[in-house]
Amino acid sequence: MKSNCLILFAAACLLTSCKEPATQAVEAAPAGPSAALGAVLAAAPAGEPRAIHLIRQSARPGDEITIHGRIMGSSSPFVAGRAVFILGDPAKLTPCNEIPGDECDTPWDVCCDAPEDKKIGSATVQIVDAEGRVLKESVEGIGGLEKLAHVTVTGLVAEGSSADLLLLNATAIRSGK
Amino acid sequence: MLPFSYAVRNLFRSKSRLLQTIGGSALVVLLVMSAVAINDGMKGVLSASGSDRNVILIGAGSEESIQRSEVADGTAGIAEAGISGISESLGVRAVSSEIHYMNYLDFPDGRRSQAMFRGVTPQALRVHPEVRLVEGNFPAAGEMMAGRLAWRKLGLEPSALKVGTRVRIDSQEMKISGIFAAPGTVMESELWTTLGDLRVLAKRETVSCVVLRLDDPADFAEADVFAKQRLDLELSALRESDYYDRLSAFFKPLRVMTWLTAGLIAAGALFGGVNTLYAAFASRVRELATLQAIGFSRASLLASLVQESTLACLSGALLASLFAVLVLDGLTVPFSIGAFTLRIGPDAAISGVLSGFFLGLLGALPPAIRCLKPPLPVALRMS
Repeated sequence: MKSNCLILFAAACLLTSCKEPATQAVEAAPAGPSAALGAVLAAAPAGEPRAIHLIRQSARPGDEITIHGRIMGSSSPFVAGRAVFILGDPAKLTPCNEIPGDECDTPWDVCCDAPEDKKIGSATVQIVDAEGRVLKESVEGIGGLEKLAHVTVTGLVAEGSSADLLLLNATAIRSGK
Repeated sequence: MLPFSYAVRNLFRSKSRLLQTIGGSALVVLLVMSAVAINDGMKGVLSASGSDRNVILIGAGSEESIQRSEVADGTAGIAEAGISGISESLGVRAVSSEIHYMNYLDFPDGRRSQAMFRGVTPQALRVHPEVRLVEGNFPAAGEMMAGRLAWRKLGLEPSALKVGTRVRIDSQEMKISGIFAAPGTVMESELWTTLGDLRVLAKRETVSCVVLRLDDPADFAEADVFAKQRLDLELSALRESDYYDRLSAFFKPLRVMTWLTAGLIAAGALFGGVNTLYAAFASRVRELATLQAIGFSRASLLASLVQESTLACLSGALLASLFAVLVLDGLTVPFSIGAFTLRIGPDAAISGVLSGFFLGLLGALPPAIRCLKPPLPVALRMS
């Protein structure tokens, strides 16, 4: 009897040692935006916002501009893990759900608009650190930045921008009309 | 309990009924095993075809189909310079421009089959390391290499695509320069030519996509940022594994159909089996009543009848398993974007045994219960 108890105890010990280590019960609370991102979201855009399709013709790298638009222009307008999103010009692009009779599941991809309109009506907004690198954090859901949200952005036109490509390093972002 | 030998002996009372039960259950089990093997095979080939380390830069708006996609020719060079985290070997980064194109392939004997072509450069071997040349050479201009399952996709015999064979695409003659393997992927059903040749044949100035291989799958964000920073290139970045997951979802109705067919036939066979057993057990009511009279309980008689039926169905399952292992295992099945090989693995084997067991159990219970239900005095007088 005694030996049986010992064998059972030993088996229980073995099974216990084979068990996967328990996962950490306390998960890290989701961190808030970094200081750099928080500063951009807290700052107020300056000046009168311009339409994306108009300002892209005259904007030069280094210029400070303010634009207004909606987060749309791609099936995934945000980048997971990076502070980048696409801003669409409401004067050129229309979310599909705002077209009568259209019940698109992903209206922010503006699939009903012509590729040429998408090209001239879209700009990329990114938040960069002091070295000019894109912040490695998601912005979706922070400070009202959601798909189809109206957003006003002030920022510096990034290097490489041209009439075909408007890339903005944001210094101030405000969501809402 | 009645001895097991009683159930075994009863099996051979009617040889035709035994054959009918074994044959019916073998057919159902074979169908179930085939359905499992087809599902596993199709899902397996699509999931193995996409690596989470590979990123496809595809034309924006063409995320559902690489063949429709148009990507500017110089994109590979721009992406190579602009995306960090790309695998590098001997100073060369793993970036491959590709054209995916479907067209007819004409053989010298007049046969014609629709084939999936991929126009590549040797860089393709850096982003698809599973590709191995098993015979011949990587294609030069005017040549193509065939995946080792391409013959099946084309509906031909294996020798139709042997090295040195001359074929025609749009009246352009080409020679098979080699055979390649890419185990478990849809690439094995493709024909690879040089990017230049396919650009001419497809009459296009763009490529279908640019494929990058990353050191770390987490660097996908870098490729996604690149696609969004270069809106002028009109690109969309997709994980290769996500692309094939979408294709797998597209083929889901086909897989559901195989299950539905197997299910309907199994239901038919089950009802047929129940009907046969009703007749068989009904003729033994008096015998079973006699056994009750000499002391055997209803439960032990029920167990014996279930044993009898389950034994017959499991014999059918055994026959079906043998057939599946000898005939189905290794069989290549073509589908619209490639071909996959059926494998009778543990999933299919367990499904087969369980189907046989439940066929025997469920098929025997209703007739057995009906047969044992009458009160003993009534049952003893039944003819």
